[in-house]
Amino acid sequence: MSDEVQVTVTVNGRRREARLEPRRLLVDYLRHDLGLTGAHIGCEQGVCGACTVLLDGRTARSCLHFAVAVDGSDIRTVEDLADLDELHPIQEMFHQKHALQCGFCTPGFLLTTVELLERTADPDEAAIREALMNNVCRCTGYANIVDAVAEAAVELRRRSPT
Amino acid sequence: MKPAPFSFVAPESLDEVVSALAEHGDDARILAGGQSLVPLMNLRLARPEVLVSINRCHELDYIRRADDRLVVGALVRQIDAETSPLVRAECPLLAAALPHVGLPATRNRGTVCGSLAHCDPLAELPAVALALEAELVLTSAAGERRVPAHDFFVTDMTTCIEPGEVVSAVAFSRQDPSERSALHEVSNGGHAFPVGGVALRWASADGVCTMARIAAFGVGSVAQRLVDAENALVGSDLGSEAIAAAVAAARAAVNPTGDIHADADYRRHLVGVLLERGLLEGEAP
Amino acid sequence: MSVDQNGAVGQSVLRREDDYLLRGQGRFVDDLPTPLSTLHLAFVLSPYAHARITSIDASEALALDGVVDVLTGADLAAMVKPIAAQIELPGYSFNTRDVLAVDEVRFAGEAVAVVVAESPYLAEDGMELVQVDYESLPAITDIHAATDPAAPQVNPTVPGNVYFEGRFATEGVAAGFEAAAHVITEDFHSKRVTAVPIEPRGCLAVPEQPSNLVFYSSTQIHHLLRTALAEFLDVAESNLRVVVPDVGGGFGIKAALYPEEFVCAALALRLRRPVKWIQDRYGALLTDVHARDNHYRVEAAINDDGIVLALRAEIRTNGGAYSALPFGCTLETTGGARMIVGPYRITEYEYTATAVATHTAPVLAYRGVAQPVCFMAIEGIMDRIARRLELDPAEVRLRNMVPTAELPWTNIVGVRYDTGSFVESLELAMEMAGYDEFRAGQAQGRLVDGKYRGIGICSFTEVSGTGAPGWRARGLTRLPGFDSGTVKVEPTGKVTAFVSHAHSGQGHFTTFAQVVADALGARLEDVTVVEGDTAAGPYGTNTFASRSAVTGGGALIRASEKARLKLARIAAFMLESTPEDIVVSDGQMHVAGVPSRTLSFQEVAETAYAMNTSDLPEGESFGIEETDFYDPPLVTMANATHIAQVAVDAGDGTVDIEGYVVVHDCGRVINPMIVDGQVMGGVAQGVGEALMEEFVYDEDGQVRTATLIDYLLPSSVDVPNFQIAHIESPSIDTVGGFKGVGEGGLIGAVPALVNAVADALSDLDVNVNTKPLRPALLSRLIREAGG
Repeated sequence: MSDEVQVTVTVNGRRREARLEPRRLLVDYLRHDLGLTGAHIGCEQGVCGACTVLLDGRTARSCLHFAVAVDGSDIRTVEDLADLDELHPIQEMFHQKHALQCGFCTPGFLLTTVELLERTADPDEAAIREALMNNVCRCTGYANIVDAVAEAAVELRRRSPT
Repeated sequence: MKPAPFSFVAPESLDEVVSALAEHGDDARILAGGQSLVPLMNLRLARPEVLVSINRCHELDYIRRADDRLVVGALVRQIDAETSPLVRAECPLLAAALPHVGLPATRNRGTVCGSLAHCDPLAELPAVALALEAELVLTSAAGERRVPAHDFFVTDMTTCIEPGEVVSAVAFSRQDPSERSALHEVSNGGHAFPVGGVALRWASADGVCTMARIAAFGVGSVAQRLVDAENALVGSDLGSEAIAAAVAAARAAVNPTGDIHADADYRRHLVGVLLERGLLEGEAP
Repeated sequence: MSVDQNGAVGQSVLRREDDYLLRGQGRFVDDLPTPLSTLHLAFVLSPYAHARITSIDASEALALDGVVDVLTGADLAAMVKPIAAQIELPGYSFNTRDVLAVDEVRFAGEAVAVVVAESPYLAEDGMELVQVDYESLPAITDIHAATDPAAPQVNPTVPGNVYFEGRFATEGVAAGFEAAAHVITEDFHSKRVTAVPIEPRGCLAVPEQPSNLVFYSSTQIHHLLRTALAEFLDVAESNLRVVVPDVGGGFGIKAALYPEEFVCAALALRLRRPVKWIQDRYGALLTDVHARDNHYRVEAAINDDGIVLALRAEIRTNGGAYSALPFGCTLETTGGARMIVGPYRITEYEYTATAVATHTAPVLAYRGVAQPVCFMAIEGIMDRIARRLELDPAEVRLRNMVPTAELPWTNIVGVRYDTGSFVESLELAMEMAGYDEFRAGQAQGRLVDGKYRGIGICSFTEVSGTGAPGWRARGLTRLPGFDSGTVKVEPTGKVTAFVSHAHSGQGHFTTFAQVVADALGARLEDVTVVEGDTAAGPYGTNTFASRSAVTGGGALIRASEKARLKLARIAAFMLESTPEDIVVSDGQMHVAGVPSRTLSFQEVAETAYAMNTSDLPEGESFGIEETDFYDPPLVTMANATHIAQVAVDAGDGTVDIEGYVVVHDCGRVINPMIVDGQVMGGVAQGVGEALMEEFVYDEDGQVRTATLIDYLLPSSVDVPNFQIAHIESPSIDTVGGFKGVGEGGLIGAVPALVNAVADALSDLDVNVNTKPLRPALLSRLIREAGG
């Protein structure tokens, strides 16, 4: 009854086609079929946000989507942020501000920050903290992440003044 | 935690959706945003044999005025409703409620109708639907029926949706520009579901309350309209005596149960606290 | 010989770990490439807290395409010996655990069978099809009811459900109570929590070559795991290699040895195929070790000045259904009993400390171990003394603290505090928090704008860097205390430092490099740290209990010094000088007073590796690779003060944290940025524990918090901003002067927050003596008090 279904998605700018069992979670497709292990599995209940990706430009829990159900979508993962030589400014600020410890939740926080700063170029602390509810960090106590996001916003505004 | 096998169809029109539902009957579940359903499937607490995705039915992705109603289609994501100028203008209570729903990433995918159909007693939107006297549009191969919110929500995770039916839209009452509205809730932590909350809207003219609609969530097996509390306000000056009467009526009307997150007495108390807070702090038009 | 360079230790060096983690290139155990032939495991977990297994029928599961095997407790018993913690305490009831339950299950979530399949999805499909019949038996979960004579017996070798009862008393306790002007008595209740690292546990066992197994595990204790695998699987330890990849948080719960690891290794050896197991969150919540289900009754005899004359503590800890490896179910029991005296001059002390068995998940280490609760108790007592005598809580603490001038000081249970800053940290924290101004404001009343405002203090000592004698004192006779370091100067002059630790986010690659650079005289960028691999570097006790800076740092300093001496001997020979006259600086060596004649590490190393025409000094061996071991003292005591300011909403009982100050003293600070990170992360966990987290079993032992929707973690809107300051009182008892820092944030936060809430509500005369302090509880206290 669970015949495989054809799926076509764009992942980090590259078109991918696959035939998948309908129940295959997007996170497993990304991690184990495409080797994009930056999205992590922390709860498979949609709470922790370690599996966060950008789905058509918006943060989404890749553990709460079946790969077949996002057919036609554009997906962006943490692997797409940096280039070979340089970190993305958001990543660089996480580094500068010591906004990661074990790093397991970090890819999710980075993508949440990408979404926040695309929606709001100059968020205040309350807006940053509200947005970061998307993800759980058990190591840092959040304060350094909040700082990193605020600094990344400054840096991104500096780079592309409006 | 991996879901059990199922088969998958993703029709491109509402007609095809209802025929797929007709074909599979009880075995089928609708997949909209999936933000409530997929966690249950990952835990294998839900195991539909067929998932009918409506994510390709772009005809269901609309928000529009229709007479005295604001109609939200089944594919409208919560984030799109939250940021919609139309929603803000016509249903400010809905706009105020949506930032409380789930988490940013789940609002990006979850739909307004999906939350209503899921009928979680802790969810905000069923209470909003009650306070906005919404009608749910249920479509099946047999046609369409419109069900008032107070008949739609039956009990914990149970609505009046029949096999073969899909919630194709929800039609909220458009709020009068003079109305005030508020949604307040309390949870045990940032990520937690609320342990109780109140959605309300009211209007007054010449210092007299002319209309009040109040609904509570998290304080019973399903969201609940608090008519006695409304009656305590309408005709009053919304002063402290009237508010106290409404608070007392609200507390008397609810029948909460205790669980690991909060005891029943607290939830009863909380309804009053939040109602009072809403009336005192509710956003002006 | 001397080192002359700007020290790397003490600098906020940015982390080397960050670049690859930020790129999503971390290699956590589920990210490791797996051979195509890898099999996957799913465990069948008991839904009952206590039941007899009457039958297991795996036929349907075995019939499923892709399911390779299903094994039960009896099958595994033939491959793995029953596992047991080795505790040598008088009266301790030894108990063992089968890696899969045989005949009887003792907590909800205990594994009764394992499915081996070709994918994780298929393994779960098979798991659903295993039919297990149980005969449900009465269960006991409550810490007090467990020792009721009528309570069901949890474990056949633990009579009366008492694992252990420890007693201690000094001679003058009774006299102290007789002389007391006041006796303050209080019960403190702490609810069960669990650590919830965001990465669940997992392991991958890969057979390599005949009779060799490489075992990747998200463990904090790779050497101890390897020894245990060898022991309980009865294989040669030398044929096992345990590798720790990146680990997504540990917090102590990954410093336990779990049945799944033994099963995974045993099946890989048996099936001669790679076997992988990745835990899911449901399994994590049910089967990871738990913590903090504790009850303390504390009595303090005080004089009219609020000085504690004698202290009595009756401590009860819930050890769960089995004594978990390697530290055993007495970890919280002996810990709380020994640590509660904290920074105070307690001269007469008596305790009874009991570990009980219940039908709940085993309890072991979670960041802070007993300390968040024992300090909630003693710091709660300090506040109660203040309220009774109408003194300021800070003043009561200052009167009872051991002043710095009296250090070193040995406390009543024999633990030496070599250096510290108890008084200074409290005074600085008060200044930073605006404590006096806050108190002055409270004089107008604590209820302002619908919120009760309060301030809470926790001044505490933090047990860290425990050496072998410290474990012996707690009955852990098979737990080493030392760690090891190997420092290798490569032929190119670059430095590789191997250390017997394993990171789970602490930044070891950066901080240990700082330590080695200074001790060796190398450039920081030339030092690379390798850890988490039993095949790379010698044995050690590994990473838990705030020990890596102390034990790993000490071992690396000693190894570095040996390597530096060898470098100096060779350089002296090459420069026709004496080793004593060689100055090392930033990877260069020269003769004192002759800075123009320098040799690089590379030039010296080429001699050591016979890669140039220079000779080695006579008797000198080839290579530059030095190892040393370091066992710290009984205990290395860090200390700190936390001050929390809170507002409790009078209507809904919610708590806002309006200010948070930490003054921390972990001796010599290696990397202030990383130390601050440890403190803030710990406080966040303390916020969770104090205000929201609770793992709930119902009366039948059913789990009520099996998802992160029901087991709550603090989010970005729950955790405050911080003010942090450091006082550095370098240890005089440890090599390097370091003290541990991993746990202090959590230890201080729970008591500070509980005390702050209690202070906020103190006008109402309500008793805040439990945690978590959720809105429903606080609202009830307020309503009952008519507030």
